[in-house]
Amino acid sequence: MNDRERALDAHDQPTMTPDASYELLGARDVHVTINEVEILRDINLKIGVAERVAIAGANGAGKTSLLRALSGTLPVASGEVILCTEPISTLSRATIARSIAVVGADLALPFATRADELVALGRLPHGTGPGGPTAHDRERAAAALARVGASHLAARDVRTLSAGERQLIAIALGLAQETPILALDEPTVHLDLKHRVEIADLLVSLADRARTVVAIFHELDMVRDLFPRVIVMKGGQIVGDGAPSEVLTAARVADGWGIPVERAARL
Amino acid sequence: MRSTTRVRTLLTAGALLLVGVAIAAIGVGSVPIPPTEVVGILLQQIGVGADATASPGSTAIVMELRLPRILAAVLVGAALAVAGGVFQSLLRNPLADPYVLGTSSGAALGAAVAILLPISGVAWELGGVQLAAFAGALAAVGLVWRVAGIGSGEERIASVLLVGYAVASLLAAALSLVMLMSGANLRAIFSFLLGGLDGATWPRLAAAALPLIAATTLLALRGRPLAALLLGDEGAMHLGVEVRRERRISVALASLATAAAVALAGLVGFVGLVVPHLIRLAVGPDPRAVLPLSSIGGALLLLVADSVARTIGIPVGVITALIGAPFLLWLLHRSRTGYAL
Repeated sequence: MNDRERALDAHDQPTMTPDASYELLGARDVHVTINEVEILRDINLKIGVAERVAIAGANGAGKTSLLRALSGTLPVASGEVILCTEPISTLSRATIARSIAVVGADLALPFATRADELVALGRLPHGTGPGGPTAHDRERAAAALARVGASHLAARDVRTLSAGERQLIAIALGLAQETPILALDEPTVHLDLKHRVEIADLLVSLADRARTVVAIFHELDMVRDLFPRVIVMKGGQIVGDGAPSEVLTAARVADGWGIPVERAARL
Repeated sequence: MRSTTRVRTLLTAGALLLVGVAIAAIGVGSVPIPPTEVVGILLQQIGVGADATASPGSTAIVMELRLPRILAAVLVGAALAVAGGVFQSLLRNPLADPYVLGTSSGAALGAAVAILLPISGVAWELGGVQLAAFAGALAAVGLVWRVAGIGSGEERIASVLLVGYAVASLLAAALSLVMLMSGANLRAIFSFLLGGLDGATWPRLAAAALPLIAATTLLALRGRPLAALLLGDEGAMHLGVEVRRERRISVALASLATAAAVALAGLVGFVGLVVPHLIRLAVGPDPRAVLPLSSIGGALLLLVADSVARTIGIPVGVITALIGAPFLLWLLHRSRTGYAL
């Protein structure tokens, strides 16, 4: 078994302690330019198996762009993104989709779609034929729905669900992809306290089960509570990477978000 | 979850129903022919069982007049419904139909110009007008493709729809001018605009069959990438789809199918808009189920509409609109009471 197979196999293990020695996701001197504006620069990071990493930063700091670059949907101008020990530029879109699942900010669907049908779309990277979801696909989709505690929503039209319920379905869609890495873009945005807590607990339990979780989070209190590691972004650069107690000090939060230190100290 | 088995059952049942309706439709007309005789004649033609009961007259009516028309209705209906379903998925817009990229206006202008040209009877028989309509349709899509930058990765869905609308408006204005100058040929142009299968002879059917069958079949098998596009471009990429490539292939195939359908049958409306929605009601939005079932549904709808059209002497486009428009209104009414498009 080579490194790549071992990394891909990792998510089938029942439990695993965080291990930074397998580089599941990484970036080397990544720069991204859009319309001649440099939106990411000097990005260097390494994320290992079963790590739980938050990405924080002010609006426009480059958090979503970083996630898009790491998942290969935003082309890099220079440098290299590493996915499951291989340069992402050498991997096919389907291979990437079997390695990293990305849960977007919100689901917008053009047609009435049942929750279980939507979650079954997460199985698309695992098949090739023209036929619909197989019995195995449906079973995995049902398991993913059960994992997020949304089995009772299976037959509902996703467009009629509340924001919190839609977010659960979106996470189930990502889980159904059965990837070693789950990336989420603001999974708790627009949610009330109850749903924020539920989703946060879910993310913690997912990472405990040997899946690497990378999530953009705005709520610094939740980041401090739940994530052993946080990456702070400012102006397209990584300005902090480490334990929240080191990286999210009042002085550094004040600098990163552009607010007075005495105000940051009360957050 | 609605199962794959159910989709297979519906496909099989639909295909059998289509064969039955087609045989019945061959019998319908000013000279009625019972279904058993139709089956006998068809079997005789392919060399299975020499049925002596069929009169030469009936054989001629079936083989020369009705069979090509029935086959044309099946192929055109299937192509329009599948192309409509593809454009709805691709553009993520329930209002999209096969003509959304200007195919219909391009075809109409091409046909109108060809009708005005002093071409001889032979070229007419071989489908000069159909060829001009086909070329016009592809030229219109080509223009929209270029201006909207389809497949460049920069295109926005709204701008593709707007460019399609602008090009269609421009071509419609040109068509109005041509019609104003057409004099005695106005009726011929008008009948193309209404859509109809009167001109579906064997040679024209043979010419249109290859692009129709090939493009429709390939599209019906492209449900997997189109399923991912339910989640938008970014979502589809995350599910492993090369979005730019898929969009280019699907737009090209759907435009080819539509252009061939329009060339053979004129502007038949509503089949491509309504049939995919009807199928979605039954099996959900996954194009892997919607597209194959739409091909059968579209064939059935156009076959029935054309049989009615032949019987009462009205262009088939009028019938499909008469069936399709109230159905669409009913769907929209339902959307306020439960089902949302």
